[in-house]
Amino acid sequence: MPYDAMNGDSDETLLAAYAAGDQAAARALVQRLGPRAFGHAVRMLGDRAEAEDVAQEALLRLWRAAPGWRDGEAKVSTWLYRVVANLCIDRMRRRRGGTVDLDDIAEPADPAPGAEATLQGRAREGALQEALGALPERQRQAVVLRHLEGLSNPEIAGIMDLGVRAVESLTARGRKALEALLAGRRAELGYDDD
Amino acid sequence: MTMTDQRRKEEGALAPLFEAERRDAPMPSGDWMARMEALALAEQPAPRPEDVRSAPPRRGVASWREALRVFGGWPALAGLAAACAAGVWIGVASPQTMTTWLSTDSSTSLSAIDPASGFDYAMLGL
Repeated sequence: MPYDAMNGDSDETLLAAYAAGDQAAARALVQRLGPRAFGHAVRMLGDRAEAEDVAQEALLRLWRAAPGWRDGEAKVSTWLYRVVANLCIDRMRRRRGGTVDLDDIAEPADPAPGAEATLQGRAREGALQEALGALPERQRQAVVLRHLEGLSNPEIAGIMDLGVRAVESLTARGRKALEALLAGRRAELGYDDD
Repeated sequence: MTMTDQRRKEEGALAPLFEAERRDAPMPSGDWMARMEALALAEQPAPRPEDVRSAPPRRGVASWREALRVFGGWPALAGLAAACAAGVWIGVASPQTMTTWLSTDSSTSLSAIDPASGFDYAMLGL
């Protein structure tokens, strides 16, 4: 079966087909889960090269877990987000002992006339990524899952192995910290007047 | 209120920043995706004819079923069990009727089974 015909299948169905040796299912899963794992790793780590390594490791673990995967045991996406986040947190802990000081991060270049909106967009992304990097690991994970991956609080609770209230508290504290970190750059990033 | 509305409300002043980041989600390169596909195929188990979702039979159960099939299935096994039980009962209880029937007295056993009488032999001059 061509993998574009498998769009209606759940991740779990595709993983069972993968374990049975269906090559179209393997391709469909890579197309579906590869960008998701990579995107989450980039947002957690802020580094594309490291994110590629982490996402590759997470996918490799998934392929090896596929033959023993039981229906109804866990959602593939939940499992994948959890493995990617844990691998990212391991890397962050190895890479640094504490949090990054926002003052150490270089200021973005002044926008050129005529390209203000584009540069402002890039500056927003860069500034957000830098500020996310300054958050404690669990707050960063919760904020990324909620506000960038667009997951519901119960889904995040499943991924982080927490209660829904704990997730709400983590994301609230994360947002408050982000606002404090970005407070001095509101005018520059142009989100005061949105 | 939809989940998106709820999220926007939570985001407050940060909403434009989150919105911009969601629009431009980081995408992996084509090379990386090709490598991931090759890796997935290299790690994939060999195709199996049966449906993967049905649990494979355990080895012990499979060999027992095969042996049962060779003997002729459950009816044959029931007959075999009954014959074994009868043999054990005869050996242990040794019933009187069975002992008599299996008596080693040759004359009794011969008269019982010889179809010719003494008169027949006399007529034949034997």
